[in-house]
Amino acid sequence: MNLKKLIFLSLLVSTALVLSIVEGMIPVPIPVPGVKLGLSNIIFLLTLVLFGFKEALIVAFLRGLIMGIATGNISSLMYSLPSSLTSIIVMSFVYRYLSDYFSLIGVSLFGALAFNTVQIAIASLIMENVRIFTYLPIMSLTSLFTGYFIGLTVMVAQRRVSGSLMKFRN
Amino acid sequence: MTKWDKYLVISIVLISLGSMFYIKNIALNQGDKYISVEVDGKKYKKITFPDDKSMRYVDIKTKYGFNRLEIHRDKLKVVEADCPDELDVKQGFIKNQGDIIVCLPNRLVVEIKGEQPVENEIDAESY
Repeated sequence: MNLKKLIFLSLLVSTALVLSIVEGMIPVPIPVPGVKLGLSNIIFLLTLVLFGFKEALIVAFLRGLIMGIATGNISSLMYSLPSSLTSIIVMSFVYRYLSDYFSLIGVSLFGALAFNTVQIAIASLIMENVRIFTYLPIMSLTSLFTGYFIGLTVMVAQRRVSGSLMKFRN
Repeated sequence: MTKWDKYLVISIVLISLGSMFYIKNIALNQGDKYISVEVDGKKYKKITFPDDKSMRYVDIKTKYGFNRLEIHRDKLKVVEADCPDELDVKQGFIKNQGDIIVCLPNRLVVEIKGEQPVENEIDAESY
């Protein structure tokens, strides 16, 4: 891992942090707890596309850790960290093996689905209540919109960024 | 957006809507409340609430007397009885877990029961 790549990855982490802070200021029109835009997933997916699986995992892990420490609520770390790591694993699997079938929008949708499922599973474990899974259909319906938006954004961003960033790889 | 993306979107929408419909029907339908009917202190019948909006009648005819229950989606009342004072008919609907209708002459006790223990409301003792 050379220095330029290191710097670029840390830039990605800080962008993800800023996006999650900005996201907190945007009101969500749906009164369901747990529904959010998930703007930092743009960065994770972009990292996955530009660099690869390992780098995306590192960026997501650092972002979750720093976000938990910086905002002070460590309990949100329990929810966000495993779900974002799982969503990255799923996204990289789909991107690597099924990219003949699915575009980046599909990859992002799969990631959103995995994220929601894991998050609700953790919530039901913590609250010891299986009925929280009744949220899952509503969350996956809303995640259709955010997942589509994120996939579209990454498609555009990849086109703009990838050419100038090829030299940072390795 | 490829063809498969569209398939994915459509299947997510269908599955989500389907399971939302399913949850609305099954899980949120008063879930585990049921009506327990006792006659002369013994379990006589266990009735579940109907799923749809229709109401139905259940006749309870024992050697102590006759009562007719009218059961709605989430509430019930006694509509007819051959006891002299008809206090059970006058009581009207009951709907909450733990509510009870008693007809002493016919030795009938109708109670709404649930699987979960009753949540304690704040009462004088709590203060």
